[in-house]
Amino acid sequence: MEGRPADDSVLIARAVRGDSAAYEEIVQRYQQVAFRTAYVVTGSAPDAEDAAQEAFVKAFRALDRFRPDAPFRPWLLRIVANEARNRVRSSGRRQHLELRLAEGFRPGDAAPSPEAVAVAADERRRLLAMVNALSGDDRLVISCRYFLELSSEETAAALGVPEGTVKSRLSRALARLRPRVQEAANA
Amino acid sequence: MPDLEDQLTALAPALEWPSTPNFLPFHREESAQARSSGLLLPTQWGGGAQRWRGLLLPIHREVSGEAGRRGRTLGRNRWALAAAAVFLIAALLLAYTPTRKAIAGWINLHTTIQRVEHPPTPSPLPSGPLGSQLGLGTPTSLSDAQAQLSWKITVPSSLGAPDVIYLQMPPVGPSGGEVTLVYASRSDIKVSGQTGVSVLITEARGKVDENFFYKVLGPDAHLESVTINGRPGFWISGSPHEFAFQDASGDFRQETLRLATNTLVFDHNGTIVRIEGDMTKEQALQIATSLG
Repeated sequence: MEGRPADDSVLIARAVRGDSAAYEEIVQRYQQVAFRTAYVVTGSAPDAEDAAQEAFVKAFRALDRFRPDAPFRPWLLRIVANEARNRVRSSGRRQHLELRLAEGFRPGDAAPSPEAVAVAADERRRLLAMVNALSGDDRLVISCRYFLELSSEETAAALGVPEGTVKSRLSRALARLRPRVQEAANA
Repeated sequence: MPDLEDQLTALAPALEWPSTPNFLPFHREESAQARSSGLLLPTQWGGGAQRWRGLLLPIHREVSGEAGRRGRTLGRNRWALAAAAVFLIAALLLAYTPTRKAIAGWINLHTTIQRVEHPPTPSPLPSGPLGSQLGLGTPTSLSDAQAQLSWKITVPSSLGAPDVIYLQMPPVGPSGGEVTLVYASRSDIKVSGQTGVSVLITEARGKVDENFFYKVLGPDAHLESVTINGRPGFWISGSPHEFAFQDASGDFRQETLRLATNTLVFDHNGTIVRIEGDMTKEQALQIATSLG
């Protein structure tokens, strides 16, 4: 088994028994998705850091009450998102989440022409601008599903709503985005 | 043109995210602080997860279940642990600077303290009797409250019999129950504009990892460690601070934030006691030392 990552359930069982390395591995495994989930909820990196940090502590404290047969990631993300929402509520304001494109991003396609690269970058920029222009709720559900690549269950946990609500919210958000994208493509 | 969902999925790797902090050094730093403060007993605590757990352990233990077993293991050292815990939170708060948005800390008095630059705005208190306004539970008598609890309620001799008593049991209150003694007015302690009474004394017990109280301190609130009958506690004074209590689902809710006046929190024979009122530290200590 050397070199193969342990299952979450194995790590959790070890952490509950007092194995610090096991929980450290869990933190390392999920810190990026936890932080980014908190970021899309708060729209603020410092708030996201505080929320994720507190969530890891709370999750650790509640670990012995975690159901071993349940998936860990949605459970953790629910705690993270709750912490993030509490921070938004307590500060009385939600930062406008403005997603940006990474400078110099190159997709994995083999040697595209400079023109193709420019066109693709322009299309990405336009699409992201349209996402950024959506309402907060639409942007949040799209960010969770497509940018963080969360499952329906995880998105529901992050949004604090039932899975069915995620599907309807996502469908409505896409319905609002689609005509804008088509209009831009036809222009 | 690709499907919209495919376009969105393809956008994901092109996004720029704020760099993810490494959350492990936070824990290690906390553990290191705890070790240096004497909170941890490495030969007894063993690995790091136990160290984290050690940071979170309250000074009192429930008598049954795993918590009770853990409590008995640590029983001899609990005062040392608690004293060190107070030291730890003091160290954390001293480290506060306005440039750091928030420093979260916790101490072993079932209390979470968060120091923030801009405290949140508390919700308006609900209308109705004091118990529902302040989330104290249901009114009862001392004997009825005592009959429902496995631990002894203590009444401060310096204040005498309380005017009203509230009881809060699980799931809203801590697992061991919570009692609040209300002193509507006392000649030497003015009625607080925050609570509408002179003194509130809350006594609570629960499991190892339960938090009873959650406090948010702005830059103008002062926190000081104190010793009451040789046991650790802390005194919060200055600007009114935010105090959150649990809702019916047992969660700490920001919506239930209210402003609290000066507060003394300490351990009294395994019961966490919280004395709140518009009073001086000396007055609070006098009440605390007069508990039966």
